[in-house]
Amino acid sequence: MTGACPCCIRRCWLLGELSGRLDLCARDPVRVWNLLKLSDGDLIEAIGGRRRRELQTAYAGLEPGTIDAGTNVQSMCRHCHTYPQALRESPLAPHALSLRGGVQRLDGMLEQAVVAIVGTRRASDHGMEIARNLARGLAASGVTVAGALAEGIAVAAHRGALEARGATFTVMAGGLERCSPAWCEVLYRRLHTHGCAISEMPWSLRARRWGALACARTLALLASMVIVVEAEERPSDLACAHIAQALGKPLAAVPGRVSSPSSRGTNSLLMNGASLIRGPQDALDLLYGVGTRKLTEPLVKLETRLTAVIEQVSAGADTVAKLTAHGIESGDAACALTELELQGLLVRGDAGRYIPTMSIH
Amino acid sequence: MFALAKLGIPRLLLDELSEFARPTLDALRQPLEEGRVAIVRARHSAVYPARFMLLAATNPCPCGYAGERERCHCSEVDLARHRRRLNGPLLDRIDLLVSMERVGFNPLDGAPVVSSERAREKVIEARERQAARLRDEGILVNGQMDARMLRRYVPLDRVCEQMLTDASLSSALSARGAHRALRVARTIADLRGSASVKAKHLGIALSLRPEAHMSGRRAA
Repeated sequence: MTGACPCCIRRCWLLGELSGRLDLCARDPVRVWNLLKLSDGDLIEAIGGRRRRELQTAYAGLEPGTIDAGTNVQSMCRHCHTYPQALRESPLAPHALSLRGGVQRLDGMLEQAVVAIVGTRRASDHGMEIARNLARGLAASGVTVAGALAEGIAVAAHRGALEARGATFTVMAGGLERCSPAWCEVLYRRLHTHGCAISEMPWSLRARRWGALACARTLALLASMVIVVEAEERPSDLACAHIAQALGKPLAAVPGRVSSPSSRGTNSLLMNGASLIRGPQDALDLLYGVGTRKLTEPLVKLETRLTAVIEQVSAGADTVAKLTAHGIESGDAACALTELELQGLLVRGDAGRYIPTMSIH
Repeated sequence: MFALAKLGIPRLLLDELSEFARPTLDALRQPLEEGRVAIVRARHSAVYPARFMLLAATNPCPCGYAGERERCHCSEVDLARHRRRLNGPLLDRIDLLVSMERVGFNPLDGAPVVSSERAREKVIEARERQAARLRDEGILVNGQMDARMLRRYVPLDRVCEQMLTDASLSSALSARGAHRALRVARTIADLRGSASVKAKHLGIALSLRPEAHMSGRRAA
């Protein structure tokens, strides 16, 4: 059993104490990242405010046992040999991590290429399906899928990776005790039983906005590539992309509709030189070089009438009414949609729309 | 509400279904399944016939704009709460669920695809067909068929069997749901003047089952 060393446990405690102060800076991601680079003393000095003296005394007098935590939680810090290599060199990296899911498992995951799939919390169902498909394809091909645990794209990515029974871990914005959107509880449980959950925060700290920024930088540090699926053009959505760029990590984005606000962020990333991704195969090509690894996904053989329908749906005629307007009889359309749904090639979205689960070429 | 149905009012229209209180919605289950309401008190019990057709409408999400992401301001929690109100057992007893798109300006001007008169004729024809087929059983419409009659009057070919198996494996199609889908498929076949239930009819019936709709989107 490995454990974090006393000085790193102090750091963890300090982050908990300063959580509120840090949150006041959360509007400006760069400021938060710069603060996280500081040593403990400087950090108290920088944002301790009126509590500076009090914190300094408490910090000096703190007698850390271990990071207080529940069962099945391990901790490690930058002075342990098990600490991920990617986090050891950078001054930006978290000092200590608590971990659910086992050190060996995390090690195994980090040996593979790690792709962080990030994006907006207010994702469209189309974006959710793209993220899920991307994660499923990558996980099935032996790539580790990483993400935060937040509404929207991140949830879809984890679900996709778990569907493929692939490797996936999540970086939490708060402590490991509870997951932060409470409705993700089931997903969180599946994640730390089949994958891993890591966090640099104290065990029961609730997730705050600055936590999301901290977890974006951990993701960017751990990932071999960051893929943005749907992001609005605002700092919180693009935090991970920006820090990945700053760290010189490969950045890729899935293009979206030009007119839609929820893809303005990704489109502008593409304009500024991010690689374009249409599906899991493109991501594999970027990671390993073109044609080196082929996507391991079952080949789908379809009747011509079904292929015609799924092509129409992919092209945007995604309701029975729209398909009818394209000259397919409504009964035929409804039946074909059901068959495709039963084969798992379509799922239902809002307002009677159908969404393709994978790209058929 | 049920008093009306008991009096023999054949249709019950509930607008904003998801805004009804949970006990009210749960009380709908028995009459929907059995066509009667049993009221049991300390020493007495009474059974009233309550066979009615339930028509209900509801918004896709609390704000009503789901499907137009930019306008919908519901959080995941709101959506989950909204979905919970229409619980599985109730949806299970609903035969047809149609998700509507937002109607644009023009479609209301144009002539409907099928005129009401034509639809009426087709329905009357279909009902006559059903009545003729079910004469020996002493019932009038497909909706009243029980499991035994389903086996007898709705024989399935191999493709249909497969489809039904797939559906019960992939989506959460219950046994009750499967029976309901079969009744609907038989009715669609009647409307189209087909003597037997084809895969196409079953396909349409399954596309109208409520299960997949409510588990859709982000809950997937």
